[in-house]
Amino acid sequence: MVTTTAPPAKPMARVRAKPKAGMTRKRREALAAYAFLAPDTIGLLIFVAIPMVLAFGVAFFKVDGFGNYSYVGLANYKLMAGDDQLWASLRVTATYVVAFVPIAFVVSFALAMLVRNHFKGISWVRSAFFLPNVVSLVVVGLIWQFLLVDKRGALSKLLAPLGLGDVSFLGTPSLALGTYVVISVWFLMGYQMLVFLAGLKDVPKELEDAAQIDGAGSWQRFRYVIWPLLRPTSFFVVVNSTIGAVTGLQAFDLVFVLTKGGPARATSTVVLYIYEQAFTFNNMGYAAALTTMVVAILVVCTGLMFGFTRGGRFDED
Amino acid sequence: MAATPSPVRQLSRRSVLRGGLGAFAASAAGLPLLSACGGDDSGGNAKEMSFWNFYGPSDDQGPQSKWFVDTVAEWNKNNDVKVKLRYIPGKDYLNGTTLQTAFQSGQGPDIFLISPGDFLRYYNGGVLQDLGTALPDEARKDYLPGLLEARSVDGKVYGLPMEIEPLAMYYSETAFEKAGLSEADLPKTWDQTLAIAQKLTGKDRYGVMFETTPGYYQNFTWYPFMWQGDGNAIKDGKSAFDSPAAVQALKFWGDTVKNKVAPRKALGDGGGDVVSNLGSGAAAMQQSGIWAVADMRTKAKNFKYGIIPLPTPDGGSAATDLGGWAFVANSKGKNPEAAAKFIAWALGSTDAAGIERQRQWNTVVKTNLPPRKSVQQAADAKGAFADGALKKFVSQIAPTGKPEPRFPPEVYQPIADAIQACQLNAADPAKAAADAAEKIDTFLNTYQGAPIS
Amino acid sequence: MKIRFFPILAHVLAIIAVAPLLWILISALKPAEDVFNFGWPSTWTLDNLQYVLLKIPMPRFMVNSAIVAVTVTVVALFFHSMAAYALARLRFPGRGIIFSGIMSTLLVSLPVILVPLFLVAKQLGLLDSYAGLIVPSIFHAFGIFLLRQYYLNIPRELEEAADLDGCGYWRRYWSVILPLSRPVLASLSVLFFLANWNAFLWPLTITRNPDLRVIQLGVSGMQGQYASAWNLILAAAVIAAIPTVVVFVAGQRRLVDAMKTTGLK
Repeated sequence: MVTTTAPPAKPMARVRAKPKAGMTRKRREALAAYAFLAPDTIGLLIFVAIPMVLAFGVAFFKVDGFGNYSYVGLANYKLMAGDDQLWASLRVTATYVVAFVPIAFVVSFALAMLVRNHFKGISWVRSAFFLPNVVSLVVVGLIWQFLLVDKRGALSKLLAPLGLGDVSFLGTPSLALGTYVVISVWFLMGYQMLVFLAGLKDVPKELEDAAQIDGAGSWQRFRYVIWPLLRPTSFFVVVNSTIGAVTGLQAFDLVFVLTKGGPARATSTVVLYIYEQAFTFNNMGYAAALTTMVVAILVVCTGLMFGFTRGGRFDED
Repeated sequence: MAATPSPVRQLSRRSVLRGGLGAFAASAAGLPLLSACGGDDSGGNAKEMSFWNFYGPSDDQGPQSKWFVDTVAEWNKNNDVKVKLRYIPGKDYLNGTTLQTAFQSGQGPDIFLISPGDFLRYYNGGVLQDLGTALPDEARKDYLPGLLEARSVDGKVYGLPMEIEPLAMYYSETAFEKAGLSEADLPKTWDQTLAIAQKLTGKDRYGVMFETTPGYYQNFTWYPFMWQGDGNAIKDGKSAFDSPAAVQALKFWGDTVKNKVAPRKALGDGGGDVVSNLGSGAAAMQQSGIWAVADMRTKAKNFKYGIIPLPTPDGGSAATDLGGWAFVANSKGKNPEAAAKFIAWALGSTDAAGIERQRQWNTVVKTNLPPRKSVQQAADAKGAFADGALKKFVSQIAPTGKPEPRFPPEVYQPIADAIQACQLNAADPAKAAADAAEKIDTFLNTYQGAPIS
Repeated sequence: MKIRFFPILAHVLAIIAVAPLLWILISALKPAEDVFNFGWPSTWTLDNLQYVLLKIPMPRFMVNSAIVAVTVTVVALFFHSMAAYALARLRFPGRGIIFSGIMSTLLVSLPVILVPLFLVAKQLGLLDSYAGLIVPSIFHAFGIFLLRQYYLNIPRELEEAADLDGCGYWRRYWSVILPLSRPVLASLSVLFFLANWNAFLWPLTITRNPDLRVIQLGVSGMQGQYASAWNLILAAAVIAAIPTVVVFVAGQRRLVDAMKTTGLK
């Protein structure tokens, strides 16, 4: 870890600081800190925490979507066990996470290695990889719907010579989820590549050179020099993309625009299922219960990841 | 932009803090925050009512948008309680969160549009206003049989239909010619459909097309094929979905995809969008509704097409589905009485202006069958159904139609899953139908809302 | 001269990555009937773009989006940097709890709290207003986290100079920390602008007034009204994407540095 933790303040400075009347320095510092934190903390409380608490509360009610509530205790949670579509959608999300997270990780890491050192035209190459990420998911959905139109879309035309001209990438249940993974990777690889690049910048060149002089091959240099230093970055990428894949906008906006969960529920992610329960069936209470369950799963997953990697060593000053 | 208040100013820290305190107070009150919303300003007599719809005023300001704008302007000219239109693009109206979020928090529109598939959801939620007193007997009698019944509970009318929309099979004359086929080859049975579609399928084109996107609309277009074999989803308060009629209809749709003569994903707005599919040459035959006649008229004027009744199974009888949206009023809205009056006036007036307004909607700016006898007569007098596709719709197709069933979401969903699984995932129709039937029964056992039809 | 393999591979992959975007751009410049023609357009036309800009209130949507995205970016960066400063540099009771509390909000995403958030917004009178589009979008833990990482790495001596002058905490933040954060704020502003310009679900839920429609709603609405006109839909998509590409190109040099300096390692 090369984080430059700030050196402890020099005692001289401490002594010189003039305490204001009636308030210790410690107290002033704390008050200042609270004032600095107030806007964001209050905002997060109102616009994230309170809605979440409301969701927890609503989970104990049967809600019909028209403002009528009746208390049902744990009934909404009990419903989950027998809800095979919920399990199907959890399977879709799990499959998506298991496919998307590692593929996105490997692809973006490989791209980062590829554009790590200078070559002619590197800035255009880097921009090109990031460009899909600047486009909105609404537009991304449109673009791929257009490219993947059955038979006449550009991709079908491209694949026609191979005899794959009438493959329906978004209309075939066995292909739709894969297509969704590929599009997600295409969308996010540039962003993750940047994160890796940032991490790679901190790998001291001397260390690598030294390893090379010691006769380490490029694989060994990667394995013993670069990889260990990149562990915290990798941790960040994995946690971030897992959360994104489970409940993020990419799990919702993109599916919503591309397939609406079809064909035959092949891309019905758990977030989409919650949305469906809330807005198609007006089961707000059940949807809220599902929400709390998904957040609980996420907490457990990220907790486990923290445990296994000893926190990815985010420095806690 | 000068009139826009500066957002930055609204964001001073003080206002954020004040907002914070407000929310804390609200959260301390806990659930009342949620439940109180419904009643906030219900039953009032406000001077402005909102009317949410997916026609106007739209950006393209087409004739349908104009009809809405003009109708509302006409009402506002003569009434104290004004109507304000709010346009929501169709896609967001049908599948979005806009209406649901609004109703959930007691901010629902005063007047809005619903399809038969939505009726029970809103009725059981207690937000539909009885149009009774606003609707004179004369108007009631003017509606064709069955139409008001489909929007009534216990004899009380909760919605006025604005149109009747039967489904038929559209075909492209050009595609038939190119494949060396003639009118004599137009399919009458399912087997013929599969065979002809095979011949019409080419490098850039599918022979036949049904809706592929899951949703209420897909179910709506599929029901006729079940009815043709005398099947139904619910009979005598019990699920009848695992019938041979439903199974063979599921199999038929599946076969079109399995044989690669129908697409797995429709273009544009899907099955209801003839211009994007048949009109673009991507499909040679397409099941769609009567509205497409107007669409083709405005967007693909020179395209040659015809319509035929939906093909039937061996030994089956012709059937189609009669869709159609209705105006409804929100009983928890700002002025439900006035909203009901507006609806009765806009769609139900029996004076000359009212009939003309309906005639315009049903035969000029859009193509539907008018839901009222007097309007039908007025349209006939102008020769609206004298020839072409519309004549066929009136004389051959509509008489075989049944109104779209008003299934609540819990009945709709298992059917939708069965259709999707058989159409696109090569599922076993018998098993899919049995699974769906079981789910429907489970739901019906505890259902306590208004009668499902 | 030895031709190196990896740079060539990088160029090829880059072309593949942008190919879908380029194809959309080209298709938007084709006449309606050519839109599915797989090849170079026979004629180029600006009709599609012109139609979308003149017949549809695209400019209005873009102004709305710009107001929202710029305001959110500026206010959010200001608030986040204050919060991050406190978390990184000040000592106070409850720091650990507040920090983990803020971080834990990262687990909650918009789709799962849509309805309760809408209720809160309604209670605060935010429906159907610029404030409703802007205020709830400001608060996000990600920016706080990144800035905190950055501030952890600023040498403490710099601050102490100000301390010696007897400056209060506000002055230290304002005249020492904030100027030092200029590069990271500049690059974060690119990310924030992109995220807010591209927002869809929240604007869809919170606004009813058609005059408040943002660009993504406009594009998505096109799909409903002009379902058969791919040429127009693509033109709208291109127009919606242009500002993001411009902002990105202008700010791209800073992005890598930003990631680096925020200490994501």
